[in-house]
Amino acid sequence: MWAIIKKEFKSYFSSPVGYVFIGLFLIMFSIFFYTDVFYYQSTNFEYIFYSGATILTFITPILTMRTLAEERKSGTEQLLLTAPISITKIVLGKFISATLIVVITELCTFMYFGILSFFGTPHLTTALITLLGFLLLAMSYISFGLLASSITENQIVAGVITIGFFILTWFLPNFSDIFTNFSLINIFANFPSGQIDIADTVTFVTFTIMCILLAIIVMQRRKSVR
Amino acid sequence: MIEVKNVTKKYGKAVAVEDISFSINDGEIVGLLGPNGAGKSTTMNILTGYIEQTSGEVTIEGYNTLKKPKKAKMQIGYMPEGVPLYTDLTVKEFVTYMAELKQVDRKVRKEKVEKVIEQTGLKEVENKLTKNLSRGYKQRVSMAGALVGEPKVLILDEPTVGLDPKQITEIRNLIKELGKTHTVILSSHILSEVSQICNKVIIINKGKIVAIDTPENLENKVSNNNCIYITVEDTEGKIETMKDKIKEIKNIQLLQENEDKTKQYLIEADKDVDLRKKIFSEFAKENIAIFEMKKADTTLEDAFMKLIEGGNK
Repeated sequence: MWAIIKKEFKSYFSSPVGYVFIGLFLIMFSIFFYTDVFYYQSTNFEYIFYSGATILTFITPILTMRTLAEERKSGTEQLLLTAPISITKIVLGKFISATLIVVITELCTFMYFGILSFFGTPHLTTALITLLGFLLLAMSYISFGLLASSITENQIVAGVITIGFFILTWFLPNFSDIFTNFSLINIFANFPSGQIDIADTVTFVTFTIMCILLAIIVMQRRKSVR
Repeated sequence: MIEVKNVTKKYGKAVAVEDISFSINDGEIVGLLGPNGAGKSTTMNILTGYIEQTSGEVTIEGYNTLKKPKKAKMQIGYMPEGVPLYTDLTVKEFVTYMAELKQVDRKVRKEKVEKVIEQTGLKEVENKLTKNLSRGYKQRVSMAGALVGEPKVLILDEPTVGLDPKQITEIRNLIKELGKTHTVILSSHILSEVSQICNKVIIINKGKIVAIDTPENLENKVSNNNCIYITVEDTEGKIETMKDKIKEIKNIQLLQENEDKTKQYLIEADKDVDLRKKIFSEFAKENIAIFEMKKADTTLEDAFMKLIEGGNK
């Protein structure tokens, strides 16, 4: 699995994908840093992540849409699936390397924490909890992106499915209260208040596991129907 | 040793391969032959574990591909059709990645990668991105990927497609060389290629095995009547009467009329008689000038066509 993680991680940076994701996120993040926090002379670092979650909703497909769809389209999938490595490890490897990119992005956002520390005393624990929640949200998003990428060989289709699903879950609570807990972005909204809610954490983790399992099943199933 | 027992692959109601069985011994170079869509790639994909058969069993070096997939896959080096490569990796990175996927021990990995790159003649391009390589080189990179990790079995899907004649010869020589130390299965629809490098041929048509034998035996098996191609200048139109003069001739068939007024005929005779001498003297007596005369050999091509057509009827 290490081989897959290493190769995938490397290819994020040998192609523009990794730079585009991190760059785009940080540009948007900077703007929100100014409009949400700096402008109000607040030191609430965690507040930017409400907007951060919105950015993530739209740019996650950049990381995930290629992963499995491209392998299928270019035929390199044959190399992977005939190698002595299980499908579970292939999917997990790709998931972990995409997650690593998000971790790097989060580490970059610490410079804003630094800037705020210069002017006041932002709350470190709350910031860390927010980052944890953000990572959990990103993992859920990435796992769904992987699932979308596993069902098609067209990466654009995978990307559209991914964004479409995120937007759908985002606005579902507007139609009925029943859907409140289906909205991933709403679930995340509790983290910047500085509490780790067990229910929220479990929701994210189970959603992630579910999507990864489904992606594995899709790949496995195609072996017998391909 | 590869054993395939009663393997069937269905897609819904469509049958891709039906009840095929064969076994391949160590050190054999086996050609999988068949028209497009016959089930060659499907068979190979099942052997490599890329797809799963609907029923039946495949064992590679004693490992069942469904029960012990990892062990079975370890024995195989696979070069897929159309040579898919990771275009954002260099040749060396690609081969190294393949070595990592095949779990080649870290200590010897570098050395093994070097060896394979040397073996496939990729030394001069090892630092180039695979997307910038010519087709011939890509083919070799794919071959290198299959070879790394020293698998016992090599499965090559159409290894010479899209290459120029010089590259084809090179790849063929490489395969022959590899055949000394590996069991090789290759698919092809170029018959001369198969008869040159393989010591066993499996002919597949419409998902079924039509024949398994050595190329020589297949040629003999279907060798038809003794045929002679002859080009003559026959101004008096006497050639039809020759049938009566030489009793052994069964049939004379006009193949084509050339611009220089010569005509090409196919003369069929009984088996095991060589008529060339007789034709030479008798035709001369009748004033038919022979421009060209050639005994028709049955080739693997004929065997193939006959078997395939037999299956289609």
